[in-house]
Amino acid sequence: MKLTSKLIVATAALALTSTLAFAGSGPYNGTKDALDGGMTYPRANGVETAYSYNTQAMKKLNYGRVPTANELKAWDMDMMPDGTGYPEGSGSVEEGDELYEAQCASCHGEFGAGGKGYPTLAGGSVESLKNQRTCPGKDAPTRTFGSYWPQVSTLMWYIRDAMPYAHPKSFTNDELYAMTAYLLAANEITIDGEELDDEYVLNKEKLMKVKMPNRDGFYPNIDGPDGVENVRKFFANPKNYGAVGTRCMKDCGKEKIMRIGMEITNVVPPYSTVRDLPVEKETGSKSAAEKMYDASCVVCHKTDAMGAPAVGDHDAWATVMEQGIDKVNHNSINGLGGMPPKGGAMDLTDEQVKDIVKFMVESSK
Amino acid sequence: MSNISENNLESTSSRRDFFKKTAAYSVSAIAAAAVLAPAKLLADDENIIHHTKWGTTLGDELNKNPYGLPSKYEHNIVRRTSSLMSSAGDMHAAVSMTPLHELSGIITPNGLHFTRTHNGVAHVDPNKFRLMIHGLVEKPIVLTLDQLKQYPSESRTLFLECPANGAAEWKGPQFNSLQFVKGMMSNAEWTGVRLSVILDDLGLKPTAKWMLAEGSDGSEMSRTIPVEKVLDDAMIVWAQNGEALRPEQGYPVRLMLPGWEANLCIKYLKRLEFGKEPWYCKEETSKYTVLTKSGKAIQHFYPLEVNSIITSPCPEKPWKNLKKGQMIEIEGIAWSGHGTITNVDISLDGGDNYVEAQLKGLVLPKSWTRFSYMHKYDGKPMLIQSRSIDDSGNVQPSVSQEKDIIGVEGVYHRNSIVTWEIRKDGSVHNVQVRTDNCPA
Repeated sequence: MKLTSKLIVATAALALTSTLAFAGSGPYNGTKDALDGGMTYPRANGVETAYSYNTQAMKKLNYGRVPTANELKAWDMDMMPDGTGYPEGSGSVEEGDELYEAQCASCHGEFGAGGKGYPTLAGGSVESLKNQRTCPGKDAPTRTFGSYWPQVSTLMWYIRDAMPYAHPKSFTNDELYAMTAYLLAANEITIDGEELDDEYVLNKEKLMKVKMPNRDGFYPNIDGPDGVENVRKFFANPKNYGAVGTRCMKDCGKEKIMRIGMEITNVVPPYSTVRDLPVEKETGSKSAAEKMYDASCVVCHKTDAMGAPAVGDHDAWATVMEQGIDKVNHNSINGLGGMPPKGGAMDLTDEQVKDIVKFMVESSK
Repeated sequence: MSNISENNLESTSSRRDFFKKTAAYSVSAIAAAAVLAPAKLLADDENIIHHTKWGTTLGDELNKNPYGLPSKYEHNIVRRTSSLMSSAGDMHAAVSMTPLHELSGIITPNGLHFTRTHNGVAHVDPNKFRLMIHGLVEKPIVLTLDQLKQYPSESRTLFLECPANGAAEWKGPQFNSLQFVKGMMSNAEWTGVRLSVILDDLGLKPTAKWMLAEGSDGSEMSRTIPVEKVLDDAMIVWAQNGEALRPEQGYPVRLMLPGWEANLCIKYLKRLEFGKEPWYCKEETSKYTVLTKSGKAIQHFYPLEVNSIITSPCPEKPWKNLKKGQMIEIEGIAWSGHGTITNVDISLDGGDNYVEAQLKGLVLPKSWTRFSYMHKYDGKPMLIQSRSIDDSGNVQPSVSQEKDIIGVEGVYHRNSIVTWEIRKDGSVHNVQVRTDNCPA
């Protein structure tokens, strides 16, 4: 008894110590050394956190094959800020203007000014990026290609791969330069101090000289040999990115309550948690002949209970069809045995009856 | 029939006899009967008294649906979207939300996984799928899907979250719905090959610092990823909860970067290139950068930080028909891209005081973790919150704590504490406790 309670005290003390020493440490023996400021976990002896894995050698598998030069050329098409991947070609602001009007303005608005619900491409200012709508009525920051994007390579690469929206990858290289020239002009961006007027012709060399207004508007600095280390330093301090909660448990303080002002309710499908039977939807897939069959013939022909050959009964209809389709059509129009002419549906034309017969025959094969 | 219910029947009938014999004439005895045998005064439940339709008819043939479907009664359990989360209501570049309020456990069924597309849901022909890996590797390769799947596989249960989850709420609450407040995320078991296994084969050159991942859809979605993450725990996956990826999730193959922005986990994967410098893709400059109040923006903001949400009760699942004094479970989900959830605290008074909730089920790194707290319902209005802590030591911030550092225009990576207001009638409302300093 004494021993047990000692043990409990000892365990509790140990638990307390480890809580103090490794505050917040979890069950998987991780180390806080990941690039993103988080944890990495040991992978050894077939165990990684809660998972087991196969420890046999997995080297020299040699799957797949080396790509051909043409395959690499076809897919390695990305464009980078240093000009890597910029194609040969050229285009003027004026040519870009015409292309823009024809291919882009319907979504992005005249002169890239937006207003159609799709992204705004021109206007705004780097200065506006400091705007904060902390209170009602304040202006928003305007994040356009001209005011926000750090690199021009991104624009031309993206236009080539992803635009026009409905049929991407359809612009020629000359068109890409023309479009890029137009959007630089629409944003009043200069190259070597020169304004881009209508006659301005953009090419690879000139594009490499573009410095976007918000080039220095982003952190951490990811460029150059220290790029990754800058990222590591940035994430090492949670205060840099807002992961700054405090674990207060009592009398932490009261703040005001903000309720929903104008609730957004236009959601699709509408909100519902009801568990009932769904409303039957019109199939819409029935042919005209099947609809006429449903209206005029199904009562007798659904089963053979009334002596009529049942639709879907392969053998019964094979027997009927031994007479030939012309005879079957004739009997259907003029009546036979218990069946009145046209099954009693005298408003049907002869052709409609033939269509129905065809549906019944087809459905019974 | 069990002995217990036989005994109950017996005691009921003997009680009935007793009342017949002795107390049927006295008014006070009727009151006594109400106390002693309340079941006698309740209306019978027709669902018990009568045979059911499904108990008296033949059901469907067993394989009527060769690929199974949910019960037809569950038709409201669906992804939802809003034109506000698209361009001009165009649903090709939009996002749909997982119905978190209807999920149990930590696995999201594939048909309910949240979806974000930048140029519509692509339908990649698996026979024409090719994956190219090149750049700063000793041996570049192309793989067919069959060749890719030859690699030894691993499975991981991981959350995927769009970093814009909750983006509508920076300036205040807007949606009165769990699905729209936090539904841009899901959790599934993903199966594929670790990229480190492939790179062992190809040989990565020491100068390789970054990897470009590129998709094959109409937007050619691409992102730059640091090689360090690629070698740590990145995977190329082809299966989701035991079956092929759904087209909405990138069929046939996507990248999986545990704990990082879902946008980085490129769908319809086509090409991986290793290089010395980052690429500056459209979705890591124009979007997916966090504009802070300094006017400068955080780029390459990879991890989804520690987060949590109460899923029951919630606006869609209010506390209705509860009795004062009864016990009721407060349940929710916690997750962290930085590691493993260690604790979740619950506040019942809008963040003034907290008590510790308990974790339940599997507690896995970079995965949803369920938490639970039993509460004695007293019928009074409440402001309930959850606050999670992970093994990296990060604590989920309050709205004000996050806002003070980032501002209100960040759009992405909002992980502050969510508050549900429970009113007297049991209805649940999305509110925020926050300090704003607007001039009156």
